[in-house]
This record gives sequence, C-alpha cells and structure tokens, in this order.
Amino acid sequence: MGMFILRRTGVMLLTAICLTFIVFIMTNLYPNLEKLAKNEGNFRMSDAEVASYLGNRGYTQGKLQNYGEWLGILPGYVIKGIDGKTRGRCSNHGAVLENSAKYCGVIQGHWGFSSRFKEPVSQIVITRLALTGKLMFWVLMVMIPSALILGIMAGMREGSQLDRTLSTGAIVTTATPEYVSGVIFIAVFTSSAVGLKWFKGSATSAMDHATLENFLLPVITISLYGMGYIARMTRASMAEVMTAQYIRTARLKGVSFANIVLKHALRNALIAPFTVIMLQIPWLLNGVVIVEVLFNFKGFGWVLVQAASNNDIDLLLAVSVVGVVVVLLTQLISDIGYVFLNPRIRIS
Amino acid sequence: MTQDNNFMHPAAEMYASEEKAGKLDRREFISRATALGVSTVAAYGLLGLDAPAAAGGHAKMGGTIRMQMDVKAMKDPRTHDWTQISIFSAGWLEYLVEYNSDGSFKPMLLSSWEANSDATQYVLKIREGVKWNNGDDFTAEDVARNIIGWCDKSLEGNSMAGRMASLVDGDTGKAREGAIVVIDASTVHLNLLQPDITIVPGMADYPAQIVHKSFTVETMVSNPIGTGFMLPENLEVGVKASIVRNEGFEWWGYAAGKGGYVDRIEFIDYGNDPATHMAGFEAEEFDLNWESIGEFVELYDALGLVKSQVASGATLVVRPNQDHAPYENKMVRQALAMAVDNEVLTELGISGLGVAADNCHVGPIHPEYNPDVRRAPFDPVKAKELMDASGHGDFEHELRSLDSGFWKDTCDSVAAQLRAAGIKVKRTLMPGSTFWNDWAKFPYSATNWNHRPLGTQVLGLAYRSGEAWNEFAWNNAEFDALLAQANSLANADERRIVMGKIQALIIEEGVTCQPYWRYVQRHHVEGLVGVDMHIAYLPQIYKWGHAA
Repeated sequence: MGMFILRRTGVMLLTAICLTFIVFIMTNLYPNLEKLAKNEGNFRMSDAEVASYLGNRGYTQGKLQNYGEWLGILPGYVIKGIDGKTRGRCSNHGAVLENSAKYCGVIQGHWGFSSRFKEPVSQIVITRLALTGKLMFWVLMVMIPSALILGIMAGMREGSQLDRTLSTGAIVTTATPEYVSGVIFIAVFTSSAVGLKWFKGSATSAMDHATLENFLLPVITISLYGMGYIARMTRASMAEVMTAQYIRTARLKGVSFANIVLKHALRNALIAPFTVIMLQIPWLLNGVVIVEVLFNFKGFGWVLVQAASNNDIDLLLAVSVVGVVVVLLTQLISDIGYVFLNPRIRIS
Repeated sequence: MTQDNNFMHPAAEMYASEEKAGKLDRREFISRATALGVSTVAAYGLLGLDAPAAAGGHAKMGGTIRMQMDVKAMKDPRTHDWTQISIFSAGWLEYLVEYNSDGSFKPMLLSSWEANSDATQYVLKIREGVKWNNGDDFTAEDVARNIIGWCDKSLEGNSMAGRMASLVDGDTGKAREGAIVVIDASTVHLNLLQPDITIVPGMADYPAQIVHKSFTVETMVSNPIGTGFMLPENLEVGVKASIVRNEGFEWWGYAAGKGGYVDRIEFIDYGNDPATHMAGFEAEEFDLNWESIGEFVELYDALGLVKSQVASGATLVVRPNQDHAPYENKMVRQALAMAVDNEVLTELGISGLGVAADNCHVGPIHPEYNPDVRRAPFDPVKAKELMDASGHGDFEHELRSLDSGFWKDTCDSVAAQLRAAGIKVKRTLMPGSTFWNDWAKFPYSATNWNHRPLGTQVLGLAYRSGEAWNEFAWNNAEFDALLAQANSLANADERRIVMGKIQALIIEEGVTCQPYWRYVQRHHVEGLVGVDMHIAYLPQIYKWGHAA
C-alpha cells in the first residue's frame, strides 16, 4: 500500500512537470508574450517597445532557462534593462532589492506573481480554490446522497413504475445543461418578472456569507446535472446486482427485501458509482465555470478563464498544477476506496 | 462653494450676448464661460439667473454605498484609460478643477483661475488651507510638479500629454522651459505656446488626479498619500474594492461645505454581462450601478429603481483602421459609412436612447458645432458602387466588437445593413478581457468614447496624427493644421467656421461611422443623493450620501 501511494505520487509529479512544461511553452510563444506586454505596459506600444519590455523582464531568455527559473533549479534572472533599471524575477519583475532571494521557483515555494491580479499566485489560488471548495462541498452534500437514494430506489425493482418515474427524472436533469437550468431558476425564483423572489439570482454575497437564500440556486444547478448522471449509474449497477445468484439465494432463504437491499446488494452496487463520484470532483473544479459566471461567484473556474484570457503565465502554471493534483488525488482515493468496497481487489 | 473672485473674462460677456441672441444654449454658455475663469455664480449672473443650489444639503453623514462596477488594476493616474480606475483612486486623489453635468467648471484644489484675452496665459490660484493626509501643506509647487508630470510624453500611455499639448516641447517630449512658473506659494502661471481653450477642461478630466511628491505606482495603494477624504481599504482586481473615510483627517472639503458624506464605498465587480448586473440588483447586493444600458433601462425602471439620466457627448465609433488594407482606400471607408443609416443604429443599437449623429464626432452638445455640415447621405446603392469602384467589392470585412451590450447590438445592425447593401461582412465577438488588449489596432471594430466638454478635445485625443488613442490610424496634415487653428480661437463663432471645415473633412475622408450621441443613465435605490449619472462619468464621490 505504501509503495502504491509512493508510486502514484511519483506519477503525479511527472505528470505535473510534463503538463506545466507544455503550458509554459504555449504561454511563452511570442504572440502571447506580446499580448502580455501590451496588457501590462500599454496597448499602443510599438514592436520595438514590446521587445525591450520583454527583454528587460527576462522573457526573451531561452525557454528552458525560464522554465528552470520557474521550477527553482536555476537562479532567477537579474537583468539591467536598456532603461537603466535593474529588474529580477525574485522581485516580481520589478526593481531588484538588496534582500531579494537568488532562487525563487516552485521548489522554494514561490509560485510567482499574477500579472492580471497583481497579487502572489499562491494567494489567489488559495482564496479561489477555497471558494470553489465551498461550492463543491455543498454540491457534493446535496448531489451524492440524493443521487444514491434515487439510483437505489430505481434499481432495486427494475422496470417498476417507481423505476420508470425516477429514471425519466434523472435523464431530464442530466440532459439539461447548467446554462439552461441556471437561467430558468434565476428567471423563475429570483426575478420580479415572475414575482416569486424566493432566492437571490446572484451569489456574489455568498463569497463572504453563504446563506440558503443566496447559495441554494448555484448549488442546485450543479447538483441536478451531476445527480441524474450518478443516479443512472447507481441504478444500472443496482439492477445488475439484484439479478445476481446470491441475491436470489437470499430471497429463497426468506431474507426480508429491506435486508437484502441494505445488507447484501448495497455494498456491491456502490463500486461503480464510487468511481463516477470521484471522477466528478475534477470535473466540478473546472466544469463550474458556467455556473460561477452565471451567478457571479468568483472561484477557481473564473480564475482559470481570467488567467487564460490575459496570458497570465505564472497563474496558468499554478492552475494546471492544481488540476493535475486534484485529478490524480481523486483517482488515488478511488483506487484505495475500491479495496474497501471489493475485498477481491488487492493493491500490492 | 464656487469661485469667489469677481474676475470677468471679456469673452464671457460676449458669450452671454450670444446666449441671449439664441446662438448658444445655456449649457454651452456655462461651459465656455467657466472654462475661461468666470465663476459659476457670475456666469449664471450674466444670464440674469441664480446658480442652482447643490442637492448635497439634504444628505446625512455616514453610511455605506455599494456600487456595481468593473474593478480594474490600479496604475499611474496619467495612464488611466477607464474612469472605473479613477473612481477608486478618487477616494484620496483629487482634481484641480471639476466639470459638472450642467457644463460648468468648479474649482477644487484651485481656488480660481483666469485666462488672458487670447487664452495664451493662465493664472492658477491654489486653494488655501489644503493639506495632504500625511500633514504636508498643499502648495503651488505640488500643482506645478503635477502639470510637469502630465506633460511627460516618455511615460508610456500618458494621455494627459495630449491634453497639455500647448505646454509640451515638441522636441524633448517634456514640459517646455518657462511654460509652468511658480510665482508664489499659491500662484502658478501657465504660458502656452498657442491659444488653448481646452487646458482647464483637460485638468478636469479623469486622469488629471493630483499626486504627492513621494508618489510611486508601486506604493500608490499601500501608501495612499492624497488630499481626499477617503483611503483605500482593499482592492481585489476583478472581484471587489472598497474605500473608507480617513478618520481624523481634516479634509479641506468639510469646511468648504463640499460634502464627504459616506463612511465607506464598496465597488463590486459583476463582469460584462448586464443580465448578471440585473440579478445582482434584484438580489439587493448593491445600491447603484455604474451605468444602465440598452433594454435594461426599461427593466430597471420597472423594478422601481430611481433613474438618473443626462444627455451627453458619449458615443460609439465603428471605424476602420487605416494601417490595414483595404482601409487605406478612401472609397472603401466612404462606402462603409454611406451604407448604414444612423437612425436605425440609434433605434436598434441603443434602444432609441440617444440622437442620431453625423459621423464627425462633433455634435450639438459642443459649443463650436456647425449644424450645417451633415453626413454623406445614407445611400446603400451608391455605397456598393463605391466599394466596387475601389476594387474591393468582394472583400469580406471582419467587424469586431465586444460580445454584449450596445457594442454588440450596434455592430450587428451595422453588419446587417452592410450585407443589405451587398457588402460582405463577418462578425467577430470578443470578451472584454481580450478585446481591450488590442482595441486601437483591430482593422475594423467599435469603440465607445466618453463625453468631453469641447468639440476639439476628442479630436485632439483620437484624430490627431500620432496620438496614443488614434485608433483610426488617421494621419492627415490638413486636419492637424485645422485643429490647431480651432484650438487658437477663443471666439466660438470664429471657431465654428473652422470646425465646419474639420467636420466636412472627417466626413469626406470616411474616417468613421459615428452613429449616435447617447443618453447616459444609471439607476439607484431610493434614499441616495448626489449619486447622479455624470455626463462624463467623472468620479465625484464626495457628493454621494444617504438622504437625511
């Protein structure tokens, strides 16, 4: 087990390095750098000004050199610009101070400085990840129990009236994209046009104080979409288990239906949905973009969009690392969880 | 409190007679007279009227006001390209002069100013008793230093240099030797190269915030030294920002009766989609919005919000950039302008919230506007003939714009009319975060322009050869000469003759399609005073308050 986790961590590191290198090369293509320079300096800069702006700030060094600096295995550049000012990576591309560090990469714990938000990247990622985490937590709290209950109820008597009703419902919610259901919810429950005004159509204040009123709609919008999907998976899995030999044996022995479902079928039926739920977490992290924009909730998805559209190199790299970690971490959990759910699987 | 001197510029009396003869409307008169240094009270007096009392007297001290607004990164005031940036720094950085929606100019950190008879010399008097919030006295040296800073063309993106052009040395790109002279602790003389009537309006524009001698861009938020009554509390770009009262600081405006009512102002970012703004308004997450646009004006009205509306010189230009083929060809540009009906764009682009314009970026709100010069007539058939004759009949134009709001609606309507005329056009929609990175460089796109008091001002900023904001990439020596001539004529009747030529030249060259003059409006909840929409979006937050 220890070796397994260690190996997985190694894979995670390797993936993160490969991915960040690709992102790094892409964001350091010259047209992207030009966009960055104009964004930071001035939109009307001439080509010569762009070149000197980038040169003064170390962007035109070799790509490997810059990547090494970002990782922290090479010392950060210190360049005396043609305007006479000395700038360095370790002072956020600003004037070098006496006490500036020599190395300032990820290894040293410096994730860089966001050009879009003018803040340290680590701080932005933590703040926004926490906000999306809050959203995700409540989504999972609503989505998983309701999806499992619906799926099991539908799957325990395949083809029954209950199954048909629940399955239709699940298909409807899963087939409705968030940008449709979100807009409908806002129109129906929040606007003066309909007049219900039960909830708030904006989750801006939920970033500070989440209440039922301002946070329910975004949570429900995401949950409904994922819920239908997981419920369908659970139903299929449950229905399959219910036809198994040992369930028939249990029924013949006269075990009550409730006991069969809860004690004999449930554990086996949960293996497939468990994987699906774990896969939903990375999807939530990036897939909430639509809902975050719709409800003006500034979480991780919003940061991703902002970083990409402004070619914010350091921020984009950090975002991709977070992405890798979340994906691989949830897969690790799902693999380990398997062992507990299915005694036949061993991790060596 | 307004200017308390009895200075009366001779031209002001002439303007008053023009106003009485019906040649000028009242707004134009107030705007021109006060720009020459006549106090607002005296200007109204020339017309035989009493100056309107400020509504601020009905406000109470204290409270918080929350506003929906784009929260942008802070930069040097001189390089501000959005009023949204200035409104945040207006908490602690103030202006020498302020421009009001009635067209008048009121002194702020100045106590008065005077122009000589041909507007080549200005005497600026500094307000007594103003202190920086670090305890330093505010003196003539501060004013001179800031004006010299405005003249610095070497600072990338400094738009103040264009406004101060008559003080700048063309060779060095800095303030001219002897242009700005400190006479004593409370007097500064400006000696202009040529007569310039826009220098005081230029000082009232949003990038003209006065900074302390210790100012650096890096520390402007962390160490906010200024003369204003508030301080920055927090700034999260793209999310929210807040400014709070500087407790214990004896702001000059309290004694001068300026106001300074609220304890705290919060700016909350809701992105570019007005539907999200509306959801925020309905959720009662803010008290007033930045601006209400398009069909949302009616929707907000229906919510029972208070509307504050003012007719302005704010507009949109749907323009080709002459650095790109085929727009260096005059016939192509003329055809693009000729193929669209500006009345239709007013109706479809801004829901009729404005009046149709004549493609020359000077309008009835400007004193020197020549109403006889009209656009090239709307004629789709002739437009197509011109386009074919230019040899670019089959060229597919790509019209870029923001992906929402009146930018999108107007450009959609432009594209539809071009297609109806038989001209091929493709639409490209871009989000604000990428569009504004290159707004001045796109071959064919739409940009909104704010109102400015005089007709010559936008022309100087955006149409003069080589200016930072010349998004048309228009270089025309004849135009530059005419504009310089117009800027030297204090008499608006004389200036109107030149302006007529300028308008005709811009139309003839097909520089832009400039379809309408917009009403600008915002909405707010009941119980607020002084938060009215400003004709030029200027940040007069000291007027904001809760009704007593």
